[in-house]
Amino acid sequence: MKDVLRAFLATLLAVLVYSLAGGAGPMLLVVLNAFSVVVLYFSVRRGEVFGAFLGTACGLVQDSFSLGVFGVGGLTKTLLGFWAGFVSQRIDVAPFFRNGLYMLVMSVLEMILWVLVTAVVRRESLNFHGGLILLQPLVTALLGSSLFAVERRFRARGSRGA
Amino acid sequence: MPLWENRRSVLILAGLAAFNILLISIQIPRGAEKSLFERSIFFLYSPVQRAVTGAVRGLGSLWTNYFDLRGVRGENQQLKKEIFFRDQDVRFLEDRLRFFQSEAKVRESLAAFRGTIVPARVIGADSANPYQTIVLDKGSLDGIGKDMAVCDRFGNLVGRTIAPVSLKETMVQLITDKDSSVSVVSAVDRLTGSVTGKSGAFCELRYVLASASGGQPGEELLTTGYDKIYPAGLRVGSIRSLGKDESSPIFRRIVVEPYFRFNTIDIVAVITKAGGGE
Repeated sequence: MKDVLRAFLATLLAVLVYSLAGGAGPMLLVVLNAFSVVVLYFSVRRGEVFGAFLGTACGLVQDSFSLGVFGVGGLTKTLLGFWAGFVSQRIDVAPFFRNGLYMLVMSVLEMILWVLVTAVVRRESLNFHGGLILLQPLVTALLGSSLFAVERRFRARGSRGA
Repeated sequence: MPLWENRRSVLILAGLAAFNILLISIQIPRGAEKSLFERSIFFLYSPVQRAVTGAVRGLGSLWTNYFDLRGVRGENQQLKKEIFFRDQDVRFLEDRLRFFQSEAKVRESLAAFRGTIVPARVIGADSANPYQTIVLDKGSLDGIGKDMAVCDRFGNLVGRTIAPVSLKETMVQLITDKDSSVSVVSAVDRLTGSVTGKSGAFCELRYVLASASGGQPGEELLTTGYDKIYPAGLRVGSIRSLGKDESSPIFRRIVVEPYFRFNTIDIVAVITKAGGGE
């Protein structure tokens, strides 16, 4: 039950970040995918099953705010959450640079999958916004690994205090 | 259940993937209506979006309205609101005149429009492509429904409202969306066609025959009202370039630059009563 509540709060958090980014400038939404950051972060922390469920939730919420085919984001983020959680339970992705690289690889895979699924479903070329969208995996990886770094620092400070 | 224990996560993944594929497959070919499930999720999460932008705006206005020029700010806002409606009136007046109507008839039309414009704030953009949709902070409680024209503060066409329309939020399909289509006529040479988006910064004017003469870069395009969604005479954009359509030689390839800009659509006008079809 606690996990379900956490997943719900994480989705709300993604909507919050998405809303703030949209308010700041629509082009920010092209490079910043808050839903991917949330899915990656929680998948690495909680494992593949949690990641898959959260991926579905976040993906469908993202789809509901878009005119694209409903379910494309859900499918890609489900797979992202699963694989990110699955692999991270088997290899050590704790160090900052390794963590960043891991998230970058996962984000790139998600983008490739999203492009492929969208191309199959809609049968048309995608708008890459002059290549700006290619920055999205980089920004996602940077934000995701920064979250872990911040969390580690807080934990270290907490344990020193105790 | 060893099989279940060993393959539990894989089975869960398969189930979730199948669920998403099912969702995708029931929409192909895509229908005009959004599914109940999609609408429910929009209903559930759009108030969060509204609350976030409201809170941010509230914090901003706390500073600007209370600490900084408290009295002047309120007066300024009132004046801006009045200017907003004046701009709309002037734009409609000009556009109606262009459509060969007598001034008396123009005033009659304007009287019909008065009270049918709902100003709304933009609280979100499309999560996949900002050129597709925006979300407004007004909904069915404010008299907004599906298929209502949306203009920016200068009277330029931005798009139309589409489902889902929740109680206090509405989704707007921008004219730059590739599934959008607006019936237009050029202001000088009277070229008629349909402006279709490309989910990018520019649109296309389609269905203008290659044999049709006229049309030049910079020429303004206005709505015809034939589509029964957009009132006639709204400014859509201007012709950017003209050429041959290689894929379909019977039509001309005309690139259109929409007038609306993202930095001017923080506030938009929703026309709740269509005056089109003339």
